[in-house]
Amino acid sequence: MSRITNFLERLVFTHRNMVVGLFALVTLFLGYQASLLKLDAGFEKNIPLNHEYMQTYMAHRNDFGGANSVYVSVCDKQSDIFNPAFFDTLKNVHDQLFFINGVDRSLVVSLFSPSTRFTEIVEGGFAGGPVIPADFNANNPQALDLVAANIEKANIVGRQVSNDYSCAMVTAQLLDLDPETGKPLDTLALASELETQLRGQFENERISIHVIGFAKMIGDVAEGAKDVVLFFALALAITAIMVFFFSRSMMLTLLPLACSFIAVVWQLGLLTVMGFGIDPMSILVPFLVFAIGVSHGVQMINAVEKKAVAGAGAKHAAMFAFRSLLIPGGIALLSDTVGFMTLLVIDIGIIRELAITASMGVAVIILTNLVLLPVLMSFLKLDHKYVAKFEGKEAHSTRFWQWVAGCAEKKSAYVILLVTTLLFVGGLYQAQQMKIGDLHAGAPALHESSRYNQDTFLITDKYEVTVDYLSVLVETSPEACTSYSVMRAMEDFEWKMENVPGVQSTVSLASIAKVVNAGYNEGNVKWQVLPRNQQTLVQAISRVPTSSGLLNGNCSVMPIILFMEDHKAETISTVVDAVKQYRSEYQTDDVKFSLASGPVGVMAATNEAVQEAQIPMMAYVFGAVILLCLLSFRSLRATLSVVIPLYVVSVLAQALMTLLEIGLTVSTLPVIALGVGIGVDYGIYILSTMNARIKHGDTVQQAYLAALQERGSAVLFTGITLAIGVSTWVFSSLKFQMDMGILLTFMFVVNMLGAIIVLPALAQILWGNRNKDKSPDQ
Amino acid sequence: MKKPLAAFAALALSTCVCAQTAFQAPLVEQSLLLDIAAAKHLVMVGERGHILLSDDGQQFTQAVVPTTATLTATTIVGDNIWAVGHDATILHSADAGKTWQVQLSKPKIERPFLDVHFFDSRHGIAVGAYGMFYRTEDGGEHWRSELHAALLDPYDREYLEQLREEDEDFYNQELGSILPHLNRLSAANGRLYLAGEAGTLAVSDDEGKTWQRFEVDYAGSFFDIAPLDNNTMMAVGLRGNIFVMRTPGEWEYVKTCSTSTLNSIMVLSDTKVAALGNNGMIVTLQRPLPVSEPDPYANPAQCTAAEGIDVTQIKDKAAIVNAITFNNQILAVSANGIKQLNLK
Repeated sequence: MSRITNFLERLVFTHRNMVVGLFALVTLFLGYQASLLKLDAGFEKNIPLNHEYMQTYMAHRNDFGGANSVYVSVCDKQSDIFNPAFFDTLKNVHDQLFFINGVDRSLVVSLFSPSTRFTEIVEGGFAGGPVIPADFNANNPQALDLVAANIEKANIVGRQVSNDYSCAMVTAQLLDLDPETGKPLDTLALASELETQLRGQFENERISIHVIGFAKMIGDVAEGAKDVVLFFALALAITAIMVFFFSRSMMLTLLPLACSFIAVVWQLGLLTVMGFGIDPMSILVPFLVFAIGVSHGVQMINAVEKKAVAGAGAKHAAMFAFRSLLIPGGIALLSDTVGFMTLLVIDIGIIRELAITASMGVAVIILTNLVLLPVLMSFLKLDHKYVAKFEGKEAHSTRFWQWVAGCAEKKSAYVILLVTTLLFVGGLYQAQQMKIGDLHAGAPALHESSRYNQDTFLITDKYEVTVDYLSVLVETSPEACTSYSVMRAMEDFEWKMENVPGVQSTVSLASIAKVVNAGYNEGNVKWQVLPRNQQTLVQAISRVPTSSGLLNGNCSVMPIILFMEDHKAETISTVVDAVKQYRSEYQTDDVKFSLASGPVGVMAATNEAVQEAQIPMMAYVFGAVILLCLLSFRSLRATLSVVIPLYVVSVLAQALMTLLEIGLTVSTLPVIALGVGIGVDYGIYILSTMNARIKHGDTVQQAYLAALQERGSAVLFTGITLAIGVSTWVFSSLKFQMDMGILLTFMFVVNMLGAIIVLPALAQILWGNRNKDKSPDQ
Repeated sequence: MKKPLAAFAALALSTCVCAQTAFQAPLVEQSLLLDIAAAKHLVMVGERGHILLSDDGQQFTQAVVPTTATLTATTIVGDNIWAVGHDATILHSADAGKTWQVQLSKPKIERPFLDVHFFDSRHGIAVGAYGMFYRTEDGGEHWRSELHAALLDPYDREYLEQLREEDEDFYNQELGSILPHLNRLSAANGRLYLAGEAGTLAVSDDEGKTWQRFEVDYAGSFFDIAPLDNNTMMAVGLRGNIFVMRTPGEWEYVKTCSTSTLNSIMVLSDTKVAALGNNGMIVTLQRPLPVSEPDPYANPAQCTAAEGIDVTQIKDKAAIVNAITFNNQILAVSANGIKQLNLK
């Protein structure tokens, strides 16, 4: 190991100018690339495309539309909808939405779409037509009366018209590919068009426009993510001030921050080079990279400063710092990198993106903060005045470190481990209660008071049929809808599902056919059954067009749509379990009841994928850390001392998520892994000194005191500084960032405490006896 | 060898259908219910073989029933309850609804019963689609089919009589498909009344063995017929049509301006009667009922109802099928289940 280090040291420091020049060039190039980076959001990368449910979803998406819909509720604030101004606006909204690029034009539905029809029963049979007739003129009060009557007959109150008649809905499905360019749809551009062309244009003191759907949600998150930059700046400023107090030198403040910043620039630039954008949900990753960079940078300036105080010149001090930190720092960063890379095994696009973004960012730090930083520092002039500033500080802090080193005393060690165990057990209990999926109505990434969530609440409140629905797709042979037994099985299954708690209402071709059959029998509800007679059944079904979304062209696939009370994870799993239970009663070789489509179907798959991914992800991340620790320390004890506190902290972080009611979702799943990445640095830095000392025969306590004096202040400092920086996120307009702020603050502080308090106590227990026996001899 | 096997398979299949018991559903009280009857206790029947029982009109229990066919009508005689419905199903309970047996089930004929009436615990009739008419004289142990050509309108009858002279078999076959749906039976003062499809209103003085058809100037369906007092009959039907008979044999039109089909008549008091119908419509009428000339070409938007007629709609607009008074409350069955109505 040391041969490689020495070689690298010579290589780097004899060509200092070249190294700096090379970095400058790469930074220039990647900086340019980074300036081209775009926010990029997509629906599909949030879903586990290879999940069983999603296979069904993808297979039938062309027939029944996807789960990526936009709902626009146009509301009249003063009266009911039956006035000319409202109908004019509704028509405009419908037309505008129709022409927005990326909207599937065949699936825009509102009162104005020709597919919105009514039927009524008259003496001679049926009468019917479009709800809004072709010659409709909103200024004619009789025309409005007619439309009002047609709305009643069409039975669309609660779906297309709100229960209180103050709002009407326009819905649209979004395409995956931009029809103009053929590339994946730019969801954020579409979201901003929804905002400007619908809300901006048509909302006024009388009319309000409420827009929900994934595209709008992610658009609002991206909008809020612009604040994120502000919070980054704030955290950067706080860090800079703190580093200045720590280093008492402008240059030593500037250099580690600059190098960490360069790491972020490289990371963002590399993303563009690799053809990625940055997802609004991963926008915190650059900050994490910066934070991890600062953590290593501070170790570096700490080492340089220590050496300078001991009398070395800047160049020698820098070379010494390079030599002594390359291995522990490299190991820490490498285990982060490998740890994040393992997230690639999780088959959800956005997590893979995050794995690439984060692991690349961390890998880059090895270059910027372990190589470039010491090289830059070697150019500094550390004069006597500077050195003098630190001598007093060192003396003062030694007393403090001696007190902290008490953690490695046997008695305190037992107390610490006892408390840790209690915390761990309590945390583990809480962590078991952690919920999968969204715990609240609306979008969890946004505050409850946000416009989007307010709009969601308004729509769920005013309409009966919610946007939370799950489709069970009945896959059978062509023309199966003319078979009484197939339809009866569907209808019976549907009724059982309707009785499951959490299901609000249901609809399928079978249940509609019953109503149509009653219609053919003069509207007599005593005939509201599926006719056994095939011709009669065909007659009933023929009135249901494929545009209803209840059957495909040859009726070999028919969805049973379950409207849900909400999309909380528990509700979803109850309903999905019920589907699996009941379908076994009706499924045959020819009639399959397949999960799932619809927004909740997607959520069900995602929740299951997230739940399945949780344990392997932790296993991979910890596996990587353990492997690299074993390789570098060549000691099981050392590895355990690093990994156990890390594990306790990650369990406590899960407990905190439970307490904060943050569900485990695609966006929160990687947080724990990232937390491990943050925490592992502290432990490895402390232990690498300790490990060497213990091997030389020091007692654990002596070794620990030495480690504290060498690196403790940097660990303590980094933990506190970064925690203060991220704690400002509590004020973010994005609830997601606020949640992450709390979680990261917790992890920065508690990981630091774990490394300073729990690690030595563990080391004491693990090594204690052996070294006590040995040390007198040496 | 093949034949017994096929027979066995058919048997297994048919017992499988019959043995299927109705699913005990939490939402049964909000499901499609189609008839309600009361004696000491309440009975309600509806789709998927749902039968609900209650002693107080507050708490309901779902009976375990050996069918999943939709039940359309029920009647109570002492501890005997009959329920009839689709697949030509007749169910019977001899113990006030605790246990149920199938007395008749003929899914193959693809016809539903639509009403049932018992004159006493042994003699009863069940009527349904296409003039389906079954009679029992032993409490339902045996049911026998009858066809009543007298229920045909005069033109159809004339056509069929000609047929009969040519081919008796074909006559019977044709009669079984040309007869109107028989929607509702009601008994009063020893007479039996019947409301049915295509303007069918009829009366029988011998427990339905022979029928006299009334002449009404309306060709749409009637869904209920009921006596208001000794001299007055009322009938309701498709598209909100109400007819009243004040002099024997003469039916007169009552203009309500509501076009929702009316399913049932409910006499509220000596001065008030209600008609209940689709879209949750409740038409209340002051007695005596105001009559007027029907005008098929009138613009519905400019219609004014006769005086004393009040049209209201229940909140969820579910079709109300029937209602009764029980324990001083009016309970109705509807497309959305049990409803408590306030009609006083």
